[in-house]
Amino acid sequence: MSTLYGAISASATALDAERTRIEVAVSNMANAESTRSTDGQPYRRRDVMLASEPGQTFEAALGQAGAVGVRVAGIVQDQTPFRRRYEPSHPDADADGFVMLPNVDGEQEMVDMLGAARAYQANIAAIGMIREMVAKSLELGKG
Amino acid sequence: MSSISESSVITALRRQMTIAVAKQVASAGNLANIDTPNYKAKEVTFADTLKGKLTPTAPASNSTFPTKSATAVDPGITLKEADGPERRDGNTVQLDREMLTMSRAAGDFAAAQTALAAKFRLVRYAINESK
Repeated sequence: MSTLYGAISASATALDAERTRIEVAVSNMANAESTRSTDGQPYRRRDVMLASEPGQTFEAALGQAGAVGVRVAGIVQDQTPFRRRYEPSHPDADADGFVMLPNVDGEQEMVDMLGAARAYQANIAAIGMIREMVAKSLELGKG
Repeated sequence: MSSISESSVITALRRQMTIAVAKQVASAGNLANIDTPNYKAKEVTFADTLKGKLTPTAPASNSTFPTKSATAVDPGITLKEADGPERRDGNTVQLDREMLTMSRAAGDFAAAQTALAAKFRLVRYAINESK
């Protein structure tokens, strides 16, 4: 038998993952103009990899229906080329006057953040519904 | 004549609640993986369980201790991949479908709980000698 608490934990893993997505999108936006990172190169856009995570619960170990959580499998760097901008006065400009800027695209980050925020909301709503069901079942014990 | 604490009604309500919980759990897992690439949405099936219940088995379960029927409730609830269009990342979770499933499961659960509470109230009424 699957338990509602397993479902809440699955939703909680999703909250964690979506929060990570928002954090990464925000740091991408914050570093949209960072021409120097620790390796001397411009900042590279980060992306979150998500993977589903079964086999964590007791039910899953028994091969029964259980909630499937999600986990952040890794944060990878986007390998698309940097943007180039002509700005000879910039201290990081090359000999031709071009500056290499991070491969961050504002629109893309905004869309990512919106998607993550909506998914976060959906999981919060799911937790609310599960909690109502638990409360409802506890009413059986009332006199 | 059926008794107040007739176990078949309680067993049926129990099954309804168990299925509602299983649906809720499956949808919670789907919602958790709404952005996981190649994740396939899962849904609860219990057709085999239902078929097993519909075929007449020995109805001689007049035991006061419904241990047998209680254990027969849980198995049979299985997950299968839900139909539906695939997104570009191979994911088949649909937010609206999952929210609808969760709402309906919560409603089913509340209905079964209300009926079960009424059933228990009758039993308690009898125990307390109609006081």
